Amino acid sequence: MSQRNERSAQPELDGVNHWLIHHAACRAPESLSSRLEEEWLADLESRSSALSKLSFAVGCCWAAMVIVNDFPRSRVPAVSSAVAASSAATANSAAAASSVATARGLIVLADRNFGYFSLRPGTLFLIVGIHAALFCGVITTPLARARMATPTKAQNQVLSALPLEIEITDFLPGK
Amino acid sequence: MGKKETTVRISLQTLRVLEAFLENPTQKLAGAEVHQRCGIASGTLYPILLRLESAGWFVSQWESADPSSLGRPRRRLYRLTSTGLRRASEVFASFNRGVLA
Repeated sequence: MSQRNERSAQPELDGVNHWLIHHAACRAPESLSSRLEEEWLADLESRSSALSKLSFAVGCCWAAMVIVNDFPRSRVPAVSSAVAASSAATANSAAAASSVATARGLIVLADRNFGYFSLRPGTLFLIVGIHAALFCGVITTPLARARMATPTKAQNQVLSALPLEIEITDFLPGK
Repeated sequence: MGKKETTVRISLQTLRVLEAFLENPTQKLAGAEVHQRCGIASGTLYPILLRLESAGWFVSQWESADPSSLGRPRRRLYRLTSTGLRRASEVFASFNRGVLA
């Protein structure tokens, strides 16, 4: 019975998995998008159970977010195709592959240096800022209350200019 | 001389991925095969593969078989470069020294 339900839900789950992977690949950098979609769809087929496929597809969504953070303007596929072409032409030229790989590394390094305010320092800055605001709030609120409780200089001033002796009869009616 | 290599953040998962490739450094592995060997979830695995590829430790290429004959999309196969092999060996050597010291 449960197997029959699982089989009937299989095409729908496959559709969900494909949609999730397509959505994740669209979120990835444009140069990597088609490559990642094809790669993930191929690897999805290697999973056997429906739950495993679903967890794989959800994981791809997470992977896309991480890749966006790591490779904001990636040039990996262009260089990878160059590497693939060079490796097809000269299969045993490891030195050439390493030199191309070094060039690719420099490109990515330049990309990373360009975006100097990435997600991680931003998150750290936000957390520190929230803590600082809370700390200031905790410190200043009791001080403000204490200041309000004590009378100010104007409130407890002695009014020495008033006449000390006042004739009450001056205020009586009929005077 | 004059060569610059990007630094790769070495996490435990990265070590497990490298370990899967170091079992046979010449073989090409797809992401699904790396997952079967390491058990790392896809959300962690593919960023690591891309990171190592961009750092020059891996190269990747599509499998040569025809997708229509396979009945599925092509797999992307990853392989260690000579640089990656050297750097991975250094990482594991330093890791072992750190553990044993």
